[in-house]
Amino acid sequence: MSRALDLAEEALRATEGDEAEVLVHAERSGVARFAGSVVHQPTLIDNAVVRLRVVRDGKVGWAATNKVDAEGLAELARRAAEAADNARPDPEFPGLAPAADYPEATGFDEETAALGAEDQARLAATAIDAVPDFELYGYFTSGLTEIALASTTGLRAEEAMTDAVCLCLAAVEGASGWAEQTSWQAARVDTASAAREAAEIAGRTRGAAELEPGAYRAVLEPCAVAELLRWFAYDSLGAYGFLEDRSYFCGRIGEQAFDPKVSIADNALDADNLPKAFDFEGTPKQRVDLVQQGVIRGVVWDRRTAARSADGQISTGHAPPDAWRFYGPLPTALTLGPGEAGSTEELAGLVGDGIHVTRLHYLSVVDPREGVLTGMTRDGTFRIRDGKIAEPLVNLRFTVSLPDVLRDVPGLGRELKLVNLNDLYDERFAYAALVPALATARFHISGTGSGPGL
Amino acid sequence: MKALAEAAIDAALGAGASYADARAVSLRRQFVVTKNGQVDDMSDTESEGIGVRVLVNGAWGFAGEGRLDEAAAREAALRATAFARAAPGHHETSLAPVDAQSGGYRTPVERDPLAVPLSEKIDLCLRAEEGMRQPDVKVTLAMVRAQREHKVLISSEGTAVEQELVECGGGIDAYASAEGITQIRSYPSQHSGVSGQGGWEFVEGLSLDAEAPRVGEQAAALLRADECPSGRTTIVLSPEQVVMQVHESVGHPTELDRVYGTEAAYAGTSFLSPDDLGSLRYGSERMNVSSDATTPNGLGTFGFDDEGVPARREAIVQEGVLRGFLSSRETAARIGAGEGGSMRADGWSRMPLVRMTNLHLEPGEGSFEDLLSDVDDGLYLETNKSWSIDDKRLNFQFGTQIGWEIKKGKLGRMLRDATYTGKTPVFWGKLDAVGGPDAWKLFGLTNCGKGQPGQEAHVSHGAAPARFRDVEVGVSA
Repeated sequence: MSRALDLAEEALRATEGDEAEVLVHAERSGVARFAGSVVHQPTLIDNAVVRLRVVRDGKVGWAATNKVDAEGLAELARRAAEAADNARPDPEFPGLAPAADYPEATGFDEETAALGAEDQARLAATAIDAVPDFELYGYFTSGLTEIALASTTGLRAEEAMTDAVCLCLAAVEGASGWAEQTSWQAARVDTASAAREAAEIAGRTRGAAELEPGAYRAVLEPCAVAELLRWFAYDSLGAYGFLEDRSYFCGRIGEQAFDPKVSIADNALDADNLPKAFDFEGTPKQRVDLVQQGVIRGVVWDRRTAARSADGQISTGHAPPDAWRFYGPLPTALTLGPGEAGSTEELAGLVGDGIHVTRLHYLSVVDPREGVLTGMTRDGTFRIRDGKIAEPLVNLRFTVSLPDVLRDVPGLGRELKLVNLNDLYDERFAYAALVPALATARFHISGTGSGPGL
Repeated sequence: MKALAEAAIDAALGAGASYADARAVSLRRQFVVTKNGQVDDMSDTESEGIGVRVLVNGAWGFAGEGRLDEAAAREAALRATAFARAAPGHHETSLAPVDAQSGGYRTPVERDPLAVPLSEKIDLCLRAEEGMRQPDVKVTLAMVRAQREHKVLISSEGTAVEQELVECGGGIDAYASAEGITQIRSYPSQHSGVSGQGGWEFVEGLSLDAEAPRVGEQAAALLRADECPSGRTTIVLSPEQVVMQVHESVGHPTELDRVYGTEAAYAGTSFLSPDDLGSLRYGSERMNVSSDATTPNGLGTFGFDDEGVPARREAIVQEGVLRGFLSSRETAARIGAGEGGSMRADGWSRMPLVRMTNLHLEPGEGSFEDLLSDVDDGLYLETNKSWSIDDKRLNFQFGTQIGWEIKKGKLGRMLRDATYTGKTPVFWGKLDAVGGPDAWKLFGLTNCGKGQPGQEAHVSHGAAPARFRDVEVGVSA
């Protein structure tokens, strides 16, 4: 039994007979953040948070603490009980999750878990040293996250997950490029390779030109695709948005809304993603097909939203971590099915005349119901002419309906890339999207911004 | 807590640090959220720990331990020191000199927001929700929050300060939908309402339940409103939209760490350079922006920042010219001006960063009606809905929840899905009027993200309605 599950059991014993569920979320991690080729913001975190959910007479109360001694757990039980006593009966509360058998999820690597500050600093240095002609910005991080649940329903769940991420912005004045690598095994993250890839892109961005706003055909690299899907997901791929009429999927289940080449799923059991066996209610993870060959199939659910559904949905194992509760259940292992293109150049050939986008910046939802997003391109935006990647462009403002982007897809890359989506807010919960590069017939550019580089 | 922080400093210096500071923090946060007449979320979170920051051979190291005991304090210090020693690169770090500080600060509070019974908070939320109900309003949501942060900062230079910051806030949202259109209306601002430092009297002053009927009615009315037209026109922005504009296009670009590039990989850099100080024309002569960590009820109000620099008020833009940056001791030393004062950390587990405190667009003169009266044909835009700005904080695009035509100085028909876009100094150059002190309001935001690992800062901004000429509006996909 893990330290986290021990702690969960101990906290459960402190609840004195209430119907209760304990979640332990523990983290030991290091971030070697660098800027100007110098590690300037190194952060080591060691913490365990215990969240207690108590049910009294149909009323639910929550409390959380990182004070995990007996006194702290007793105080936690008191505050959770007080919250429950003050709550109103919740007719939609589906009850605590029952005990379950969990699928195999292989997201733990002993060597990654063992990495310490010196290792994290060394791997950051390897990236920095690989690109002497550019200043390097970004970070190398690795961490161990332990999740455990124990409840009065007999549920017991425990999982240890590792993750390692290297983000690299190679930049000087007037030039910048981006690359990243993510895995649950640090040995599969080649920090020098990521830095060199970023520098190679940066080297092609000098002398960036302006572009007239308008609709363009485009090749979007995996980092850009993942970011678009992440922001589309907030309203359109989770149950809250679906139940509350904010989702593009409302009224469109079964509709051929996208190009038949587009299939989107959420699959936390995929060993090529960052695998997870259960969600934050202890419900087993399952693969959920969201879009199959362009046809809209559904969204992801947790127990509470499933209970609110009019058509008998069940939890798909997507109860969110505490920090996301406002958003409700969301995909955490998005995957976009691959196509047949063997390279970015091949996709550019399908586009003919258009733009090539490496990475996006600062997205926002303009119209959730229509899936309209805005944001900027950065760190590697190029013109495509005659089917070839051509001159660099300044950063472009896009305002796109994502359904429009996915409606006519000339091609997708054969290779899937795991793109980190965790910005390391709150307790560590690594998640990523496994996506290919994508060619689209419509990507609306609504303005221009600053040039690449510092 | 003081003894623990002192133990951490001893351990860090003993391990070879040339400078060290330690923050022992105890934080409690409470949220009550009701949705569609049910308690949707009621959480009560406490977190305590110590964060130790060190300089070893000019390199920073930081470690946070989620316990408040002497062993944890010493362990954090040793881990931070080891990390600094291992950090690659050529390090040169100077800190602007600051006198050692002592003393403390407590938020003035009439009624402790964490002592207010949960049942009272739930009742307020449910009452406000009830007020928003309309036939087309499908989702109503009300939220109140409270927070107390107790922290002790000790540094190897002799600073020893203790602070207790108390804040609370609330907000309401109505989502209306019909025939494939969904609209949101919020009060008193977008994105989780508004918070301020102070007691529960701050929340009571928001009058959430009194404003609720208007919020619900406007959400429903937006379903039948016309879409915002496209083109170039004069816009008048409401105070809560002006503060978003100030936050994104003045606050972030004047953070000196961004100017020096340390946020380049994530939040981005700035279109400003250090040489622009004192000479760059940021906007029109009507533009006056100040940073003020002493503002009553401000979320960025404190006695000392997280480096122990005393709170202060500084001009950032005066009559349209850049006069100041938000800085740390390190960046102040690098630019050779000031001594910092804007370093803030999100709890004990994060390293302090240059953050906004309370950043205000200073008032001009006249009322909201006066601003409208000089507009023959334009738009009035209220409450943020979407926001995006490029990595140098130059090109921005904002959407608002609601708008109205302005015709011959008066508000006309309601408009939905309004957006406007521009480039920062060009846009601020078109500022031709700011409302007076009577129209000036303070808004506190709790979701300002920056840093890796990510940190959320709580910041406040004050603004009055403001008018901008010749702005591009109505951007569509």
